[in-house]
Amino acid sequence: MELLIDHVSKRFRDKRAVSDISLELTPGVWGLLGANGAGKTTLMRMIAGNLQPDEGQIVYDGAPIGMLGERYRDIFGFLPQEFGFHQDFTVGDYLTYVAALKGLDERQGRRRIQELLERVSLLDVRGRKIARLSGGMKRRVGIAQALLNDPEVLILDEPTGGLDPGERVRFRNLLSEFAHDRIVLISTHIVPDVEYIATCHAIIKDGRLLATGSTEELVRLVEGRVWSCQVPADLVPEYESRLQVVSLRNENDGSVSIRYLRERPCNAGSVAATPRLEDLYLWLFPQGSMGNGKPVSRYQ
Amino acid sequence: MRILRLELKRVLKARITWILLALALLLSVLLAWLPTTYCYSNYTDEAGNEVNLTGLASIAYEKQLQSEAGGMVTPERVREAVETYQRCLAAYGVTESYDLPEGVYEREILPIAPLLHGVKEAFADPDTGMAPTIMEIDPEEIGDYYDVCESRIAALMEMEQPDSQAARRKAVEMYGKVGKPFQVYPGMSATVMDYQNIMGFLVLLFCVVIAAPVFSADYQSGADDILRCTRHGRARLGAAKLLAALIISGIAFVVCAVVHILTADSLFGWECTRTSVQMLYSIVTLADLNVGEFQLLFAVAGLLSVLASVSFTLFLSARCRSTVSSLACALVFSVAPVIISMAVPGALSTWLCSVLPASGTSIQASILYAMTDFQFLTLGGLAVWTPFAMIGASVIEIPLFSYLAVRSYCRHNA
Repeated sequence: MELLIDHVSKRFRDKRAVSDISLELTPGVWGLLGANGAGKTTLMRMIAGNLQPDEGQIVYDGAPIGMLGERYRDIFGFLPQEFGFHQDFTVGDYLTYVAALKGLDERQGRRRIQELLERVSLLDVRGRKIARLSGGMKRRVGIAQALLNDPEVLILDEPTGGLDPGERVRFRNLLSEFAHDRIVLISTHIVPDVEYIATCHAIIKDGRLLATGSTEELVRLVEGRVWSCQVPADLVPEYESRLQVVSLRNENDGSVSIRYLRERPCNAGSVAATPRLEDLYLWLFPQGSMGNGKPVSRYQ
Repeated sequence: MRILRLELKRVLKARITWILLALALLLSVLLAWLPTTYCYSNYTDEAGNEVNLTGLASIAYEKQLQSEAGGMVTPERVREAVETYQRCLAAYGVTESYDLPEGVYEREILPIAPLLHGVKEAFADPDTGMAPTIMEIDPEEIGDYYDVCESRIAALMEMEQPDSQAARRKAVEMYGKVGKPFQVYPGMSATVMDYQNIMGFLVLLFCVVIAAPVFSADYQSGADDILRCTRHGRARLGAAKLLAALIISGIAFVVCAVVHILTADSLFGWECTRTSVQMLYSIVTLADLNVGEFQLLFAVAGLLSVLASVSFTLFLSARCRSTVSSLACALVFSVAPVIISMAVPGALSTWLCSVLPASGTSIQASILYAMTDFQFLTLGGLAVWTPFAMIGASVIEIPLFSYLAVRSYCRHNA
């Protein structure tokens, strides 16, 4: 099983949303990381077949998805970033409707809906109108519909938006179980959501693919650039203005521990810290200057 | 079938659908009853009191008064009616019926009035179209009443279609085939048909409002992104959505039309449906129908027009990205025949009003008025009576716009 994104580009008027991206997705959970506007949603909509690339093609097991048509959609599950429901649908009605569209017969559909509602903890709101559910519950309905046909390829665009911490953990566990022998691509700018469950990550910026690899491989890119030190509390504003600060923590002695990103330590008291995926993300997408990140060439 | 069933369930679960369908049904009854409220009669009873009657009482009174006039409109009966009229007015030394003393018209003329319908028009001047008064008509000439009518249609068409010999020939040919003598059964007026037209137009608007968001609402809400990447989420879902909208609109129109016609005919009397349309409209109307058949044909044409409009609306819905734009465009096209018939002059107006999907039930430009008119679409030696053109256009538009709607939905964003 292999999903090949082959030199895919997409332009909207003057803006090049996706530029010559090539990626070979194999079974496992893939994290697609990028800031807002990086081109993640456009790429995912092209993988879903809802948007045609201007150049390049998307190929599943050797055949372009446009040619596979119904056969591709049969093994495909999709949760878009922003999605709606008909106002008068109840949770049960909606899932029954999508199950029919996914080709499940009535009995299969009923059984699968029951299973999934249990998995996403929505069994007791089955008869409630979706319009009256909370944002997190709506998101879980969206996740359930994506899983209805037990897809081989599952694409989730910002799936954890609106979920509380407990729901996020349950969602991560659900995906980890589900991902065996399947391709799961999760786009997010919330790094911890994919840091521990994704086997591989792809990082895109300004429509271009910056890097791909496992968490370990990618964090190596910022090895030697993550530092921590303790500074007096009154100097924190000055450090924040000079450095790319990742985190701040108040210590009991009145000082503040800061974790920052820099080519070289900023003072003698700084020590090298163990890099995490979030450090790489912030290195690539500096806060307040998202469009002016580090040179792309360094990571390719 | 399952997808269609679920789609029907989805549309019917929407509160707005039920509100509009209930309103349409209520209006179809109301609009059948409303013409009865315009009926008014007054007379002086034996005790010398003036009696005013309205509504159903007025209809019953006039029907009873005109009961002798009902039946076949033979030239002999028309001649007798004209002679009675002329004798009455001569006896009172007047030339117009409204100059008769109070109560005389109701007593002498009203009972024979249904037979006098169209007499003046039949004897209109062939060059100017000016109708004479009944007093000026020679009763002896009425012996050839239907020949006079056939001469009248030829003269009328010379004025209506001076440039199209084909249209003139076609009209004379059609009128020659109209069954004669005519029949008349008093009690119903042309207002009843006007209200059937209003009912059809309102149901059309309601159906358009139901159909306008079918595709565009999914685009706008993002629901479409999920649905179109399911196994049956393209052509099958598109076709199911289309069929569901057509089925709901079709059933809604049929139910409303049946309820309206049953109510109207029950109120005005079922025998009225046997009246020839020539005794309700122009004496030279080209349609070979009685009122009952006319109501039915108008309902069928209205149904075709509603289905054509809904197909077109679904096409617009599949092309627009928001419900507001699809609804606005659909409503503009629904009222377009009304505006065009008022604002655009000449043959262009006739052509546009004949081919637009909503023409069949539109106000002013509907098939009702086309069937009582003498307009033809002409192209070289070809002349098509506008009601046939309207029905033909709807029959073509239903599959055409249905196909385009599903195709546009499948290709959305592609």
